Amino acid sequence: MDLLSFLLVQCLNALSQAALLFFLGVGLTLIFGIMRIVNFAHGTFYMLGAFLGYSAVRLTGSFWAGLVLGPLVAGGIGAAFEMGLLRRLYKRDDSAFLMVTFGLTLVLGEIIRLVWGVDALQVQVPDSLSGIVFLLDEPFPVYRLFLVAAGAIVAVGIWQFLERTRLGLLIRATSQNAEMVHALGVDVNLVRSGIFGIGCGLAALGGVLAAPLLSASLGMAGNAIIDAFVIVIIGGMGSFPGSLLAAILVAFVQVFGTYYFPDFAMAAMYLLMLLVLVVRPGGLLGKEA
Amino acid sequence: MSVSRRVLLQTAAVAGMTRRAFAADSIKIGIPVALTGPLGGIGAQMRRACEFWAKQVNAKGGLLGRPIELIVEDTAANPATTVRKVQEMVERSGVRLITCIVASNEALAVVPKLAEWDTIFVSGDNGDGRLTGESLVPNFFRPNVSGPMGTRAVTLWLRDSPMKKFYGIGMDYAWGHNSMEVFESEAKRAGKEFLGAVFSPTGTKDFSTYITKIRQSGADGCYLVLAGDDNVAFLTQAKQYRLGEKVQLLTEQVDEMGINASGDASVGLIGGSRYPAALDNPQNKAFVAAWQAEYGRLPQMFEGDQYQSCIVMQAGIEKAGSVEAAKLRAALEGLVVTSVKGPITMRACDHQAEQPGFVVKVVKKDGMEHPVPEVIATYKADRVTPPCNQMVYTD
Repeated sequence: MDLLSFLLVQCLNALSQAALLFFLGVGLTLIFGIMRIVNFAHGTFYMLGAFLGYSAVRLTGSFWAGLVLGPLVAGGIGAAFEMGLLRRLYKRDDSAFLMVTFGLTLVLGEIIRLVWGVDALQVQVPDSLSGIVFLLDEPFPVYRLFLVAAGAIVAVGIWQFLERTRLGLLIRATSQNAEMVHALGVDVNLVRSGIFGIGCGLAALGGVLAAPLLSASLGMAGNAIIDAFVIVIIGGMGSFPGSLLAAILVAFVQVFGTYYFPDFAMAAMYLLMLLVLVVRPGGLLGKEA
Repeated sequence: MSVSRRVLLQTAAVAGMTRRAFAADSIKIGIPVALTGPLGGIGAQMRRACEFWAKQVNAKGGLLGRPIELIVEDTAANPATTVRKVQEMVERSGVRLITCIVASNEALAVVPKLAEWDTIFVSGDNGDGRLTGESLVPNFFRPNVSGPMGTRAVTLWLRDSPMKKFYGIGMDYAWGHNSMEVFESEAKRAGKEFLGAVFSPTGTKDFSTYITKIRQSGADGCYLVLAGDDNVAFLTQAKQYRLGEKVQLLTEQVDEMGINASGDASVGLIGGSRYPAALDNPQNKAFVAAWQAEYGRLPQMFEGDQYQSCIVMQAGIEKAGSVEAAKLRAALEGLVVTSVKGPITMRACDHQAEQPGFVVKVVKKDGMEHPVPEVIATYKADRVTPPCNQMVYTD
């Protein structure tokens, strides 16, 4: 493997990893930016996505169905949770949200264990994406290229949604001054439920997409929530472009860090976070804290 | 209310008394097992084997006329948690015998405390060679196949293979490093070239960079010391990169959970097996039949090996007539048991069971939902069991 093909393969590896990290981070940061809630259950929604994806593939025989159904169901559960529980807590301080979303983590995790069992479950890559392409004579999985594309499409999609649509406008307005938006006759509660559902749905989308790489397993949630927090902290709490930048940065540091310094593979991400916190405590694109 | 408070209290007291009477009478066995985290799947297998065994024994009237009571606690494979949970079992529940710990670093954390707790620990899975080497304590016994033994079987098989150059990837904790060390020395002894190894943190999700490293190493074969979710993720991703077309994947242990979760990605994998369900002997046939009647499928690798450890415990307790540590220890030393792998000896010198080693290849069979391991070589106990207290072999 010569240097050029090595760099190409590693960069694509990093971008495919960045896509998965982005799905995790962006939902968390949207929820935080608009609702000021740290959603501790985010990793569990990611895991739920993977298991829902498995079942959807099993029932319908189509990965694409999983890609649609997983986020929809998880998003629905998220929105219902916001309406049923979170909504009653907005007048309390932040620790209440931490407690109740942590509780949700335990309950959902246990439900997943009861429904799907303890074994890791395999999700097949759809036939159309299971091949390889040769990049400068090096084989590269088509599915990873698909992940990169999916990440780019979703990133552009969210950006356009926030900037161009009326709902996006309401969401941005709510994040700046919820009371004013409310006074103008908008149902702020509905906006909040929607955004919580969308955030959870994005995490689940990441879970469905990650399942063919990792299989759906009960260990997913714990790892995912840490990654998600790291992305959000590096990118800046509540910053959508920040989460995209952070995902790419973390993925490159991980891929190349692991290659050159395998003994520090686990530390690389946290060192990056430490560095960012020292230089810019509010995150790369966050408002200074 | 029709039931008076007094009646309720009386009933509760009686229930409490019977429970206490039963508890004093039962043989309590501590099961500090990882049920959550990346090794939770293995923990579930091992726990299932213990429960199956306890049910079998209790159905026949128990051990020494006493029922077996399993006290299960989740350790999440965290050594500090494991030590705390076992301490609680010993102090609160009066446990004097434990088994079913999943990870070697948990086991290594527990063994220095066994004397203080006056408790015997019969390993069902722990592979690190040091447990019967430099870290051996009198109250530790290992009826299962150790990491060095699994690796040894694979390297014995390699001696006759045309592959020349090897690379390795292992989990970055005690077991991974220990087995890789043994593989390196055994591969060199077999006249092979060892190009190096890389260690991935437990819980690694993306193996793409590791796959790049393996591909770049120019090795003919890559030795894997991976378990649980990490193993599944690696095999799945290696298949997506077509790694198997360039490099033969070898592994210390081929476990069915990994095969089932990675599907066709595991086909062609060659490795050691601690327990292949296809073994042809009366004990194993009876075990497999009973297991199938209970669970509707064949027993898997960790289930079979943990079950063997339970059989050793049972024979030890029957011989000692007690679960007291001193008596049980004396009974276990030198004990010969006919288990699912045939007759095995718990040798007295380092408390390791001498038993055969198996090498299997994962193949696809018609009519089976998942690929299955097929035994391609069996080595006698004296070939795979290391010299006493050692992790290296002499031939």
